[in-house]
Amino acid sequence: MSDLPFDVPVTAGAGAGVRVGAGTLAGLTRRDAVRAAACAHLDRRRRLGRLATVMCVGALALSLLPLVALVVYVVSRGLPALSGGFLVHTPTPEGIPGNGIGNAVVGTLIIVALAMAMAVPVGLAAALFVVERPGRLSGALRLAADVLTGTPSIAIGVFAYLTFVLAFGYSGLAGSFALAVLMLPIMLRADEEAMSTVPDELWEAGLALGSPRARVVRSVVLRSALPGIVTGNLLAMARAIGETAPLIFTIFGSQFFVFRPTAPMAALPLTIYTNATEPYADAQRTAWGTALVLMVLVVLLSVAARAVAAYLHRKAR
Amino acid sequence: MTYRPDAAVSTLRTPEASSWEPVAGIASILERRRSRPRGRLYAAVRWGGAAVFAGVFLLLLVTLFHQAWAALAHMGLSILWRGWNPAKAQFGAGVFIVGTLLTTVVALVIAVPVGLGTATFLAGLAPRWVAAPCTVLVEFLAAIPSIVVGLWGLIVLTPLFARHVEPFLKEVPLLGALFHGQPLGASILLASVVLAIMVLPTIVALSRVAMSGVAMADREAGLALAATRWQVARKVVIPGARRGIRAAVTLAMGRAFGEAIAVAMVIGNNTALPHSLLSPGATLGSAIVNSFSEANPGSLEKSGVVALVIVLLAISVLVNAGGQLLLRVREEGPPPRGPVDGAVEAIAGTVGPAS
Repeated sequence: MSDLPFDVPVTAGAGAGVRVGAGTLAGLTRRDAVRAAACAHLDRRRRLGRLATVMCVGALALSLLPLVALVVYVVSRGLPALSGGFLVHTPTPEGIPGNGIGNAVVGTLIIVALAMAMAVPVGLAAALFVVERPGRLSGALRLAADVLTGTPSIAIGVFAYLTFVLAFGYSGLAGSFALAVLMLPIMLRADEEAMSTVPDELWEAGLALGSPRARVVRSVVLRSALPGIVTGNLLAMARAIGETAPLIFTIFGSQFFVFRPTAPMAALPLTIYTNATEPYADAQRTAWGTALVLMVLVVLLSVAARAVAAYLHRKAR
Repeated sequence: MTYRPDAAVSTLRTPEASSWEPVAGIASILERRRSRPRGRLYAAVRWGGAAVFAGVFLLLLVTLFHQAWAALAHMGLSILWRGWNPAKAQFGAGVFIVGTLLTTVVALVIAVPVGLGTATFLAGLAPRWVAAPCTVLVEFLAAIPSIVVGLWGLIVLTPLFARHVEPFLKEVPLLGALFHGQPLGASILLASVVLAIMVLPTIVALSRVAMSGVAMADREAGLALAATRWQVARKVVIPGARRGIRAAVTLAMGRAFGEAIAVAMVIGNNTALPHSLLSPGATLGSAIVNSFSEANPGSLEKSGVVALVIVLLAISVLVNAGGQLLLRVREEGPPPRGPVDGAVEAIAGTVGPAS
């Protein structure tokens, strides 16, 4: 009985009197009593269910309320800042109109693009290694990826400072390196997951045709794992684009348009951080505007990740 | 004529057919293929990727330990309980460890029940027209960068907490003892709330995915036994998704431990031991943010900050390892998954099938 997921109220309300009468005249009374008990029990269960549902709705409200409030707040405070070339101008001194975050937009795009260029191929190649060569070495790589995924981003920022910045100075490239280290384990695991969903039969069919492994991987495995790989990599990018901690000790920030990745650069998250902690109204306006831009960028990336995945998935069918 | 594999094999094996020659030919072709440059290139690519990844990982560990060595040797094990006072060459992480644990625990106490309630509702109780849009909404909220949450906490929540929430909490009977001291706004409590808001969508999204992975047949079995929807959710869906729920909570815990910037913006940055939830404090992450740029390169203080990073790293590895162990011991098979699900989970940092 206790194996059932819940109590079945067979004998719940059937009292002694009913049991006595059961043998003799009143099969009817007994049935009635059982039915009444079952109804009562059902009522109780329904009431409990309703109470629980109400509490869950409460939880939903509690979790959506602050988050929706946050989004509404960012949009309402950020939109006024967006007017008048905010996205293309460079920052102006406090009190002078025409403030903008063009340099940070450019900086973020360059830094993240370079980080992707570093992380995507390495992640893919390492994932292929793990998939192709299961064993102790792959297990160690996977463990390293898990540890690195759990590593706080601030630790990665400090690491990038201690290696890259101490050797070459503050630069956008140092920020890219930090973001690449942040994304690498995520991409490795996502690529690996995507590839491991490719059925063994597809590998075997490819190999049975006499194709070299490289060919099988390229035109069978990668192709059928593509939706997962693209989604995973884009989501990793969406995560990296909003990270502040890896950038705070590496790119230094800049007031100007910088297109050379070996020089100090600005980035959107860093702009939010530095402006938020300043006591001027203009700076805070800039922070809200930048927050809105960053949020839209991240949401667009997530949407794109899902859309691309869905598209590729459909095409693969 | 029907195909008879046995017959085929037997003709192949008869000696007079001299049938091994074509096979030998294929073998030599395969041999040539294997040694073709492209095959070697592919192997080189794989090994290269693995080597770069492993190299980066080892470099990270070696660099951090190397740079922290001076402070670790200076403090010894007492780094785990001593306070932080650079003027007296004292680089202990004790206060920060307390702050980190306190903020994480309070954040989870807030976020886990609310998050699981929401996930249960979305995965089992809600009608489709409510669940679908809410699910999408929650998944997008999970993508909000932490710096944006920190900004909101700093500018909106700090005054709100100082004027209304904290004075109110002081009045609550029994609980009031947790909240003595000045209501300043920036406090351990505010940091915990900001962390809770930050990890909530993660908990909801991941545990909802886990719950909707519970087989429809199991739920229908429950309903067929006349269970109410709530009973099915409680006795079938939640136990069935236990593995994923634990992973979600572990992941959320890791995020809460490691978040540095947003916490530094709202916690008040105080290196004294906190005496209540209202006192400003510091976590390992926030202390690293604040002290790292202040310390001179090459100084013992810089090394001390890197030692904080090591402590933080050790804690997060412990937490993750603990979570993994829980997952591995208690549950058997991994849930079924599609390619995109796997990627999404991997992204979120949960680990795939136990290997």
